[in-house]
Amino acid sequence: MPRDTSERPSALRPARRLATTACVAVSCFGLLALIPAASARPNHVSRTSPAPAVEPAPAAAPPAELAPASPSPASGQSAGPAAPSQTPPRPTPKHAQRGGANQTPAVGGSSRTGASGGASQTAAGEDPSQTTTSGDPAQPPAHRDRSQRAHARASAPTKPAASVESSPASAEQQSAVLQESTAQADAGRQRGRGHHKETAGEGKHSRESGKRGKEKSKQPAPPSAAPEEPTLETAVPAVAAAAPVTIASIEATPPAQAPVQDAAQVSVAGVSAQALDSPARAAGHGASHARAARVPRRTHRALPAASEPALAFATSAAHRSRASASKDARGAHDGGSRGGSSPLVRTITTIVDVVPTPVRLLIAGLLALALALAARSYLAALRARSLERQRAQLLEDVGLLQAALLPSPPARLGPVGTSVAYRPAEGPGAGGDFYDVFALEDGQLAVIVGDVSGHGRHALPHTALLRFTLRAYLEAGLSPRDAVQTAGAVLERQLGGLFATVVLATYNPRERILVYSCAGHPPPVVIGAGPGPAAIAPLTVCASPPIGVGVRTGTRQTVVSVPGRSQICFYTDGVTESRVGTELFGVERLVDTLIELGADASAPAILDSVVRHADARPDDMAACLLRIEGGDDAPSVLSEELELDGEEIASERAERLLLACGVERSELAEVIRSARAAAGRNGTVVLELHRTDGAPHVTLRRDRLAYLHARRASVEAAV
Amino acid sequence: MPVAFGIAQRQLDQRTSVISCEGELDLSSAPQLKWMLLDSIEAGHTQVVVDLSLCTFMDSTALGVLIVVKRSLAAGAQMAIVTEHASVLKIFELSGMDGMFAIFPTLADALARPAQNDVAEAS
Repeated sequence: MPRDTSERPSALRPARRLATTACVAVSCFGLLALIPAASARPNHVSRTSPAPAVEPAPAAAPPAELAPASPSPASGQSAGPAAPSQTPPRPTPKHAQRGGANQTPAVGGSSRTGASGGASQTAAGEDPSQTTTSGDPAQPPAHRDRSQRAHARASAPTKPAASVESSPASAEQQSAVLQESTAQADAGRQRGRGHHKETAGEGKHSRESGKRGKEKSKQPAPPSAAPEEPTLETAVPAVAAAAPVTIASIEATPPAQAPVQDAAQVSVAGVSAQALDSPARAAGHGASHARAARVPRRTHRALPAASEPALAFATSAAHRSRASASKDARGAHDGGSRGGSSPLVRTITTIVDVVPTPVRLLIAGLLALALALAARSYLAALRARSLERQRAQLLEDVGLLQAALLPSPPARLGPVGTSVAYRPAEGPGAGGDFYDVFALEDGQLAVIVGDVSGHGRHALPHTALLRFTLRAYLEAGLSPRDAVQTAGAVLERQLGGLFATVVLATYNPRERILVYSCAGHPPPVVIGAGPGPAAIAPLTVCASPPIGVGVRTGTRQTVVSVPGRSQICFYTDGVTESRVGTELFGVERLVDTLIELGADASAPAILDSVVRHADARPDDMAACLLRIEGGDDAPSVLSEELELDGEEIASERAERLLLACGVERSELAEVIRSARAAAGRNGTVVLELHRTDGAPHVTLRRDRLAYLHARRASVEAAV
Repeated sequence: MPVAFGIAQRQLDQRTSVISCEGELDLSSAPQLKWMLLDSIEAGHTQVVVDLSLCTFMDSTALGVLIVVKRSLAAGAQMAIVTEHASVLKIFELSGMDGMFAIFPTLADALARPAQNDVAEAS
C-alpha cells in the first residue's frame, strides 16, 4: 500500500502529498521495526510467560533474530573469518529449543562452548590472562570462535538486566535451577574455571545465591523434570528477544563487571538446567541458550553475582548466529566481518533493537493508521478527480443545454449582420426566454424570439419544445403566421398549462421584405438609418394571443419593406418592462437606444444599455438584432394580415383593425360583408390590408391552413 | 424601487365579487392578485370583476395571471376587467388578449351587463 501511495504522489495535492510522504516514511520505519518484531514475536509471545513478555529487553529483536529459522549455517558463515575452521552445522535453534536435554551431541558442544565463551568474555573484559584461554590449544578453533560469541551472548544481559523487573520468586527459582546446572557445568569444564579463577569465584557466589533462591522458592528443578519445565519451554523464544539487546548494549557501553556477572549468572542458570538434565552434562544448545537468555530477566535481582565460567554456558549454537551479529558490532574483538550486512543495516538494526515492545506496538499501530490514512487519502484523491471530471462534464452539458435554447448564431447570415444577447433576471423570474436565428434553405433568414410563462427550470422543456417546433415549421416553409397558428393548435396540449409569447419572422434579402407574426409578443422595432420617421409604427390592434391560452392564435401577420439600411430589433418584454425610476424602460427608450448606438448597435450593446439605465430588471431580457445594409430608404409596412372566422367577423375586432389601417367607415360595411361571405364558404378568411401609397387596399383571400381546420373539426367531433 | 400596491375584495352578492387593485400590477404584486382571484372562484363566485381602475400599470406577468385564472373558470363563470388606463389597455391589445377578456371602462358597466359581454367577447 505504501508503494501505491508513493507511486502517484504527483497526482495528489501538495498537502496530501506531504501527508502521504509522511505516511510512507512512517510506514518504512514501522516496517523496519515490525519485521524483526514480527519474527520474534511468535516465539516470544506464545512461549514466554506474560510477566517477562512486557519487559523491554526481550522486545528488542535484531535481524539476527530472524535466525530462529536460519541458525547454524548463518553462524558458521559469520564465524568463518574469525576462525579458520568453520563451525560445523548445528541443529537449528528451534530444534535445540524443542530438543532441550535430548540433544545430547549438541549439549556437549554447548557446554564446551560455554566454558570457552566465559574465557573469551573475560578477555574482552579486563582480565588480560584470558587471552590464553582464547588461545587454548585444547579448545578446537570452532569452539574458540563459539566461545567468543558466547562471550558476547553472555554479556548481552548487561543492559537489559538493569531494566528488567520480574518477580523475585520466579527469579530465584530460576536461579536455583541455574545454579544447579552451573555446578555440573563447572565440574565438567575445569578448564574454564581454572583459567578464570576470579570469575569462578563469582560463579560460586552466584551458585550459592542460586541455591538460596531455590530454597526460597521451594520449587527445585530436578534434572529429570528440567526438559518439561515450563521455564525451559518459555525461555527458548525469549532468547531471540534477548539477543538483540545484547548487541545494542555491547555497542553502547563497554561491559561492566557487575552486569557481566549478572549475565554470567544467567548463563549458568541456563546451562545448568541442561546439565542436570542430561548425563552428558551439558544441555542442548538451544535449550541452554534459551534459558540463558530468559533467565537474566528473571534472576538478575536474585543473583547479584555470577561466575565467569557461567558466562560460557550461556552460549549455544542457536545463539551463535546472533552472537555473530554482536561480534560484528565489536569488530575489533572478533576480528571478523559479517557477510551481507551493511553498516547502514547494522545501524538501523541497532536503533530498532532498543525499541521496546510497547513502542513497537505503537509504531505498528501508527503504521496501520498511516496506511489507512494513506489509503483514505488516495481514495479521496481518486474521488476528487472523479468529481472534477463529473463537474466538467456537467458544465459542458449545461452549456450544451443552454446553447440549445440560446444558440450563438454566426455574426453574419448572408448579407445580414446578426447578433443575439440574453441577460437573466436579477430576481426569481429567471429562465423562459429563448431565441434562434438561422438561415432557411431558400436563402431567407428566420428569427424566433419567445418567452414562456412559468419561469425557471420547470419551463425549460417547454421552452425547448417551442423553439424547435417553431423552427421546424419555418424550415418546412410555413409563413410566420401559419407557423404560429399551427404551433398554437398543436402545442396547446403539450404546454401543460403554460403559455408562451413568441414572435416569428423571416427576412428575404433579395426582396428586402420582412414578415413577422406575433402571438402575445411585442412586435420588433424596425428603424431606418435615413431621414424621416425613425421607426415604423406597427399596428398592435387585433394582436394574436399567446400560444397555449386556449384561444386561436396566429391570426396576425405584418409585412415590412426594408429598402435601405435598417436595424430590426426583436426583444422580450423583460427589456421594455425594466424599470427606470417609477417608469418602464418602454419601447421609446429602446428606439432611442438603437438610434444612439447607431452603427455600433448590437444585441449585447442594447441589453448593456438597458442594464445601465434600468433601476430594476424583474424579468429575463433577450434581444436579437438584424443589421441590414443599404441606402437611406426608410422601412415601411407593406401590409397587415388578419385572419378571421365567422364569429370574429361579427365582432368589433375586424372593424377596429380596418379602421386602424385607415379604411374609410363608408367602405367598412362592404368589406365586412364580403369577408363574412368568404368565411362562410371556407371557415376563415384572411384580410390583407395594403397600406402603401395612399388609401389602403383590402383584399380577401383564403388561408392556406385547411389541414388545421380539418384537424380542429375532427378533434371537436371526437370530443 | 417598490411601488405601493393595494388589493381588496368585496362581495356584492352570492355570485359576484369585485377585486380592486391599486398601484402597479407587476411581477411582485401579481401573485397576490392570483391567489385572491382563485380564492374568490373557490368560494363559489361565478362572476368575478377585476377592477383595475386605479392601476396605473400592468405587465405581462399580471396578464399571465389573468389568463391562468380565466382558464380555470368553471363553465358558466365569468370574469370581467374594468380599466380605462391607456397603458393597461395597450397591454391587453398588444398581447391579443383584448379579445379574450370582457373589458369595461367602469365598474358600473361591468356589473350592468356582464353576461352578454362575456358571451360576446370570449370565444
